[in-house]
Amino acid sequence: MKFTLNWLREYIDTDLEPTQIADHLTMLGLEVDACLPCYPELTGVVVARIAAVQPHPNADKLVLCDVDAGQERLRVVCGAPNARAGLVTALALPGAVLPGGFTIKPAKIRGEQSSGMLCSAKELGITEDQTGIMELASDLKPGQTLGLALGLVDTMIEVDLTPNRPDCASVLGIAREVGGVIGKRIKPPVEASPVLTNENLPFRVEVESAADCPRYAARLVKNVKIGPSPWWLQQRLLAVGLRPISNIVDITNFVMLEYGQPLHAFDFRKLAGGRIVVRRARSGETLATLDGSEHQLDHEMLMICDAEKPVALAGIMGGANSEVDAETCDILLESACFTAIGIRRTAGRLKLSTEASYRFERGVDPQGVPMAMERAVQLMVTLAGGEIVAGGVDYQDGVAAPAPIILRGKRTCALLGMELSLERIAAALTGIDIEVEKIAADTLRVTPPSFRVDLEREIDLIEEVARIVGYNLLPTTLPLVPMIFSEPDTLRELRKKVAETFVALGFYEAINYSFVSPQQHDLLGLAAGDSRRETVHLLNPLAEDQSVLRTTLLPGLLENLRRNVNHQSHDVRLFEIGKVFHPQGNEQPEEPFRLAAVFSGRRHPKAPVFHAGETLVDIFDVKGVMTQVLDRLRLGAAITCQAGVAGEELPFAEPGSVLAVRGGEKILGWCGAFNQKTLKAFALKQQAFFVDLDLAALSGFSPQAKTFAVLPRFPFVKWDLALIVPEGVAAGEMLAAIHGCGEKLIERAEIFDVFQGKNIEAGKKSIAISITYRALERTLDDETVGKIQQKIIEMLISSFNGQLREA
Amino acid sequence: MPSMHEELLRLKVVAGEELTAISSPDELEPFRVKYLGRKGEFTLVLRQLGQAPPEERPRLGQLANEIKQELESAFAEREALLAGAETGANQANIDLTLPGRSLPFGKLHPVTQVMEAVCAIFEGLGFAVAEGPDVEVDFYNFEALNIPPHHPARAMHDTFYISDSLLLRTHTSPMQARIMEQEQPPLRVIAPGKVYRCDSDITHTPMFHQVEGFLVDRHISFADLKGVLSVFITRMFAENTPIRFRPSFFPFTEPSAEVDIGCVICGGKGCRVCKHTGWLEILGAGMIDPEVFKKVGYDPEEYSGFAFGLGIERIAMLKYGITDIRLFYENDLRFLSQF
Repeated sequence: MKFTLNWLREYIDTDLEPTQIADHLTMLGLEVDACLPCYPELTGVVVARIAAVQPHPNADKLVLCDVDAGQERLRVVCGAPNARAGLVTALALPGAVLPGGFTIKPAKIRGEQSSGMLCSAKELGITEDQTGIMELASDLKPGQTLGLALGLVDTMIEVDLTPNRPDCASVLGIAREVGGVIGKRIKPPVEASPVLTNENLPFRVEVESAADCPRYAARLVKNVKIGPSPWWLQQRLLAVGLRPISNIVDITNFVMLEYGQPLHAFDFRKLAGGRIVVRRARSGETLATLDGSEHQLDHEMLMICDAEKPVALAGIMGGANSEVDAETCDILLESACFTAIGIRRTAGRLKLSTEASYRFERGVDPQGVPMAMERAVQLMVTLAGGEIVAGGVDYQDGVAAPAPIILRGKRTCALLGMELSLERIAAALTGIDIEVEKIAADTLRVTPPSFRVDLEREIDLIEEVARIVGYNLLPTTLPLVPMIFSEPDTLRELRKKVAETFVALGFYEAINYSFVSPQQHDLLGLAAGDSRRETVHLLNPLAEDQSVLRTTLLPGLLENLRRNVNHQSHDVRLFEIGKVFHPQGNEQPEEPFRLAAVFSGRRHPKAPVFHAGETLVDIFDVKGVMTQVLDRLRLGAAITCQAGVAGEELPFAEPGSVLAVRGGEKILGWCGAFNQKTLKAFALKQQAFFVDLDLAALSGFSPQAKTFAVLPRFPFVKWDLALIVPEGVAAGEMLAAIHGCGEKLIERAEIFDVFQGKNIEAGKKSIAISITYRALERTLDDETVGKIQQKIIEMLISSFNGQLREA
Repeated sequence: MPSMHEELLRLKVVAGEELTAISSPDELEPFRVKYLGRKGEFTLVLRQLGQAPPEERPRLGQLANEIKQELESAFAEREALLAGAETGANQANIDLTLPGRSLPFGKLHPVTQVMEAVCAIFEGLGFAVAEGPDVEVDFYNFEALNIPPHHPARAMHDTFYISDSLLLRTHTSPMQARIMEQEQPPLRVIAPGKVYRCDSDITHTPMFHQVEGFLVDRHISFADLKGVLSVFITRMFAENTPIRFRPSFFPFTEPSAEVDIGCVICGGKGCRVCKHTGWLEILGAGMIDPEVFKKVGYDPEEYSGFAFGLGIERIAMLKYGITDIRLFYENDLRFLSQF
């Protein structure tokens, strides 16, 4: 809602500065979005009269004007078509700065001296009119500052209205609120409206349903002269961003802004049968509205019709068939109140939003109907020379008196946390035209005014009291509350711990949109029957590439990887923890949390190349990360990370470079290398690895308790062995065999070398293992260790078809 | 046999010469053991003190101590000298201007960082954390919060729909209704999470993050709302952050408030970010509307409470001076590594 300070001052007597008014409004809940001067400063621009005009000797399209600028007479060169003797216009004197920063200087134009510039309204930033230099009223005194002469000193204030305050979609409503704070009453432009009788009227109004249209008033104004509005009216509309059209249309817009009551002017001669029928549209009916579009109507839409056809979308927009135009002479003026929900439905369905529908959708004061009508009719007489036809229609079957509300003083104080006397409470309400009556020691009976459609309950009034008292004056306290505690959320804890671990391992956290393109499943190569292709669809996505909810986090991270590589960041470690969505028919989808990561680039991205080389990460880096994360979660042997198969569910993985994370029999996720096809699909030219894990399932496994183990007091001994085995033997299985052989003195076995080539027979490899032995209660001697070592060697030779490699 | 006096003076000369001859730190320790150690020569001489005539013992004792102290300080000097020479020699070979060998270390997303900071403050005040579904039922997102179909407030939420009854939640407020429906007061809960609105430009992304919170008990007042939120703001921003509460409208709270803080960019003088008002809106809040209580079966005469909601991206943008909200979802390392 926009208005100007001068406009506001017509209804409330205040000399507050614009910024003070803006502050008051904001603190009343009418948030001021903008508070700007309406016009440029226009220093050095004055009223001037063209005394005489003579042709320019060197240019056909220019003239020499002899200009009376009050104190002095000046010669000004002008090219405007309307420059003529006697015209009072605007003159920018040398030194004046026009909007846009153009400074006027004395100059020679085609050889003739020009001491200033005669200006159009557009050049001065007043209106969009650039057809010629300004045509001002002939009684303005030359030499006067233009801003003062035209009242071009004003401030536009824009308020961001909340949907509960349609009463403030009017300058009078805003003025009332300001009055509540500064303790003054508003002065509306009309004090009373006549009681209308419908005897001998040349028109008729029929309203089918009071539920759709609680009030409908109409009057006839004859013999209006359509023409431009006077400057003051145009100025009001222009200041709030409305384009002046003609005196009649401007009046309806002006009164709507003034009272908050939308009005509509019909060309009476275009109404068939001189009748207005307010009814629902019939199926098949259509209407072309003023904006030039054609609408299909349905039986839920309320229409204003004449004897034959719809002529307006009630409360939204007029029809082209009854539009006021230059030839119009008789006006049927409508001031009505339509039910909010019907207007919302119709405006929503037709995707139309107008100043009128905005107000009706939020609720228009049924008692404001006759006042706005009276104001508009008076203006039509004054500004368009119309003649009022006596009487009129004022249908008001649907108008109900606002129900009184009981307001308790103690309740108000308790809810606000502030002691307020009942008198103080009453005064706050009466200050904004709310009637109160004390009916008991602590009780007020409050009758909300009809324009406050938002006041229905005690709590609504308590808010009014808080608003007028001022939120900032209410005390600030801390509640006295009992100790309460909540159950720990294991999944949330797990997510935090996983995130911390990834961060510690050099990964940055990514957050991607929950909605993705369905095409991403093709890029990943998911099979036609893959469950990740079953997605939740948005009915109204912003774009096709955001039209389904994600079922996997990997495509988002691959896109992020590509983006980073494109921006020359090649060493990328990103992880994301987020929900994926699996549809469950008409029910809410399943929303399990997953973890995914991508890993690409150098192994030591933070160390200079001369220190650490340029080795790229490989599958063992990913396995290491996975193992460390699982270790950190203390899930112990319940969760394993072992070689897996790139089956149907992993069409994007490189076969042979996949590890499966298992909890018991269940696969909880994978890590591995992306295959070339997938990298190509995501336009990636560098090798990349992934982790993809079902966190929700992982949270079902409980971490092992932390238990202390005594620190060993005796030293360990380390014995090495090297075996030549067929190349198909898995080293991990050899370690597992050593760990599983039941020798208590073996603390740990590690692989320290794997070798193929020189001196090793083709098809075989050498695996070197170092075994750590320790006894808790003594230092081990060579003989004891040697015996076990021999046993282990024999066991490995027989189990893995190996032979001892001699040193 | 030389007298003890002579023996002491001899030791002084011999040890002094030997010390001066030491040129490498490796020789220091053998010297110390030989002369100054527990079994060293001075100790041996002093042990003989008991055999000297009683009248000479004080003088001899004093002399021995003086010589020993002299030698100890000469030793310390020599040690320092040699140590200095050694580091000096090494320093010449190491170029410490070369960069260090850092291990990679990542960072949490700025949204997570701010979200966790917000949650931590409220958890410190005894609020429990609850998370709800992103795909919400129309009823919890709107109707339970006193937003019936066709209500103009729905225009404030540009909603992504999944079906007639399912949608992507437009705020985390549905958790209010979900929790109150399940549990009885007293309640102190915050609900962090992703929310969705069909809007996309420099200040809006179709997905963003919110933290909703509410507190319900007997005798909770608007003054308590002001108190709790003021504590939050001073913790989140600074102790002396200017705060103002001003009336607003939300269908599920009444009285409703918006909470502004003094502009962190211009310090309240007025700038582009605060639209020249000196204030920045950071929170929506209010007393829970009696209609919301009725819908979950609480008696609004018995219980009262407040609710609040804040946008995480907005706070992160203000705290870090980020100018384009879309950067949060591009996951560009050049962005992520800044926070």
